[in-house]
Amino acid sequence: MATDALRAQIAGKWQSAFSRLNRGEPGISGLLSFSEAWTIAADFLQPRDLADPAPKKEHDMQEVRGAFDTLSKSKMLPMLLENFLESMRKQRYLIEREVDQFMSQYDSTEDCQYIAGLVLRLVEWYKAWAPIPELGYTILSAYTLAFHTQTFSILPPSFASGFKALVASTLTLIDSDTLPTWAHHPALAYYNPKRPDVPLWSAFDQLGLLDRYESLISSVCYEHIEAHIQETCAGKWGEPMLARLREWMAEKIVPWMIMPYARGARNTDEARSMLQGIGSRFDFHVCKTLSDLRTKEIFDIIVDYPDSLCALQDLKECLQRVDQRTELVQTLRKANKKRLLHPGADTKDILLQYVSIIRCLRIVDPPGVLLYKVADPIRKYLRERPDTIRCIVASLVGDGESGDSLVDENEPIQPLQQLQVEDYTDPNWEPEPIDAGPEFRTNKPSDVISTLVSIYDSKDLFVKELQVLLAQRLLSIKDGNFERERRNIEILKIRFGESALQVCEVMLRDMTDSKRIDQHVQSQKSLSLHPTIISGHFWPPLQSSTLTMPGQLKELQDEYSKQYTTFKPDKRLRWLPQLGSIKLELTLQDRTVSADVSLLEAAFIELFSEKDIWTIDELTTRVRSIDRISAAKALATWVDMGVLKAGGDSVYRLLEVAEEVPTSSSAAAIQHLPAVEEVPTIMTVQQQQAEQMKVYWKFIEGMLTNLGQLSLDRIQSMLKLAPGYDRTIEQLASFMEAARREGLVTVKDGVWKLNR
Amino acid sequence: MKVTVKNWHAIAQWRWDTGTNEDEGDGEGDVCGICRVPYEGCCPSCKMPGDDCPLIWGECSHVFHMHCLLQWIGTAASKQQCPMDRRPWVTAERKVNHSNGR
Repeated sequence: MATDALRAQIAGKWQSAFSRLNRGEPGISGLLSFSEAWTIAADFLQPRDLADPAPKKEHDMQEVRGAFDTLSKSKMLPMLLENFLESMRKQRYLIEREVDQFMSQYDSTEDCQYIAGLVLRLVEWYKAWAPIPELGYTILSAYTLAFHTQTFSILPPSFASGFKALVASTLTLIDSDTLPTWAHHPALAYYNPKRPDVPLWSAFDQLGLLDRYESLISSVCYEHIEAHIQETCAGKWGEPMLARLREWMAEKIVPWMIMPYARGARNTDEARSMLQGIGSRFDFHVCKTLSDLRTKEIFDIIVDYPDSLCALQDLKECLQRVDQRTELVQTLRKANKKRLLHPGADTKDILLQYVSIIRCLRIVDPPGVLLYKVADPIRKYLRERPDTIRCIVASLVGDGESGDSLVDENEPIQPLQQLQVEDYTDPNWEPEPIDAGPEFRTNKPSDVISTLVSIYDSKDLFVKELQVLLAQRLLSIKDGNFERERRNIEILKIRFGESALQVCEVMLRDMTDSKRIDQHVQSQKSLSLHPTIISGHFWPPLQSSTLTMPGQLKELQDEYSKQYTTFKPDKRLRWLPQLGSIKLELTLQDRTVSADVSLLEAAFIELFSEKDIWTIDELTTRVRSIDRISAAKALATWVDMGVLKAGGDSVYRLLEVAEEVPTSSSAAAIQHLPAVEEVPTIMTVQQQQAEQMKVYWKFIEGMLTNLGQLSLDRIQSMLKLAPGYDRTIEQLASFMEAARREGLVTVKDGVWKLNR
Repeated sequence: MKVTVKNWHAIAQWRWDTGTNEDEGDGEGDVCGICRVPYEGCCPSCKMPGDDCPLIWGECSHVFHMHCLLQWIGTAASKQQCPMDRRPWVTAERKVNHSNGR
């Protein structure tokens, strides 16, 4: 069958194979020497069992080298390598056996010293099986690759966690002097006792673990950084932490990093360039962790401002590196909503915190984008609070009651800034920051007061509130010293502008005029009456009453009026009797009582000088239409002072002679009276409105009966026809909602009907 | 019992004596016929009410802010007449006891 050509080809092949193996030696002596060399080489490379107690077979290195030389000449080295790898595969069970042993120890104890032991043992295997280096790089790397592949396939899944624990324990070397258990391993102990991990790292490298578990190693480091930051920085806002952390990184972590990340480095420069990539990743992680931490704490940091200034500067620096601005805004908004913008918080506190937020976020983000995003809900909320303006104004004029003023004393006083149209010819113009919202304006008012005032659309509201506050203060001044108010107004003039505060100016002038007029009147005729004469149109509406002063009080008023008209012929005085205060001295039979009282109280006691026993009704008739509640209250003041005594049937009697130790009944009466009065005064505005709303319920009930079902808008427009109805649709809605809760009505798709 | 007033800090409001009875109504709502600002307020060119922006009484019984009226009289169209009744403007003399009169 075989053709001649085929035969010749086979013969040629055979001949060439023979000559290659025989290497041109005479006869078959070359072949024999090759066979001998193969046996020696194969035996030399045979992977042996380390656990085999039999002594290691000694090879004549000269002989072995010769054998390899022979094989190399015959170009049979690849065959030898294949043969070697094959026998490695066959011997694999030897390693597997030991790995299992170590791993079962680890699994039962969770002690990473067994992992260290395993790693070091594997290195021993690796070294024992390695071919001699003369065979060349190709064979060595083929061997290394094969060995790595085999060990990786042997290692069980739990090795990863053990390895992680082991790496983590090398990090603890940085901080503590106590060595981990694995450091006592004989293979490590002889090395520098301070750094027993150095040989361990080279073992990792030899086994290819560094490449395989790279992400695991860096995650260990990340976790270490996180734990460190958590431990050192949490709640510590008083000192700059970022610089210290970076120092810590350079001192502690970088030396550690050299082991896994810069192994091949021969000098510091090389090491530096090798560490650059991973180093900046870790630095990023430091910033990220710190900014996460500070973001979480931001609300309390702001509460602590200005003590937390350093933390804010850290945060600013971190945010430049890490893009966490959105998270910061969201966290702060959430915290504000939860902790600040609820009914339980005082308006003043909200304002204080808002001002702190303004200051803090200006540090973190000078252009104010973050502030704009955070402030929006606060401003909306404040706008809904009824007493916001009052609080702002009170702090503007430096309300002495509370120590915390919204306004920083050191802040220069400047006019309110208005929103300006962007100036495009400005050579320093900069575009708005990229994360700015559509409403954002770069040149927003930057000082705190302007920001607060800009919560509302117009500053008129502030001026009005300011006027009311000023009026209250001025009218309560008794010693005629209103320098503080004058100073405040001067300051506010700078802010709000001269014309806005014209009214306040008039009020202040009324004060000085009154003083001057009073001096003149007193020089004509000395009176114990010292009025403040106001220009009614320039003061906020004052509650008016028709209290008529009795007896000598009336005479005093009339006398003063007369003197005034003499002084200013074209003017007359109209007394506002419910305002002001009076200092009286009562001379009774056995004692004198000195008291600082309101006008109504003075009027009553003056009446008692006419006769000793009065009923409330008689008294109120004399002073003209004073409601019983305030009358009873005024009388109670005197009862408390022991001047009057309350009897039954709202009769009051003057005590010309003091009663020793009030009897239990009168004590009870004293305590009883206020209790009766309190009830109606406590009634809140909302309660009063609810009471009034009940009247309108009849209307609503009627229209729902007649028309079946109605929408809220219809109900509102029909109620407007009812006399005196002045509710908004929102108030009506809440009322209807209350009615629904009581089960009187039902609502479906915005349509209300009676519940039957 | 004897009540002695030691010191009384009272609040009062001044008003111009324009002849209307003080006790009827609250006396507010009387406005200058020229600027329509209450007498107790001040004319548009003034900032301070009261003595700085006084009233002027005419023989014709009309009362204006003095500044308002002077400005009116100063214009040629006024022909020196009271803007209310077109009678020649004559300023009335005010006497101290006058206020008690009407």
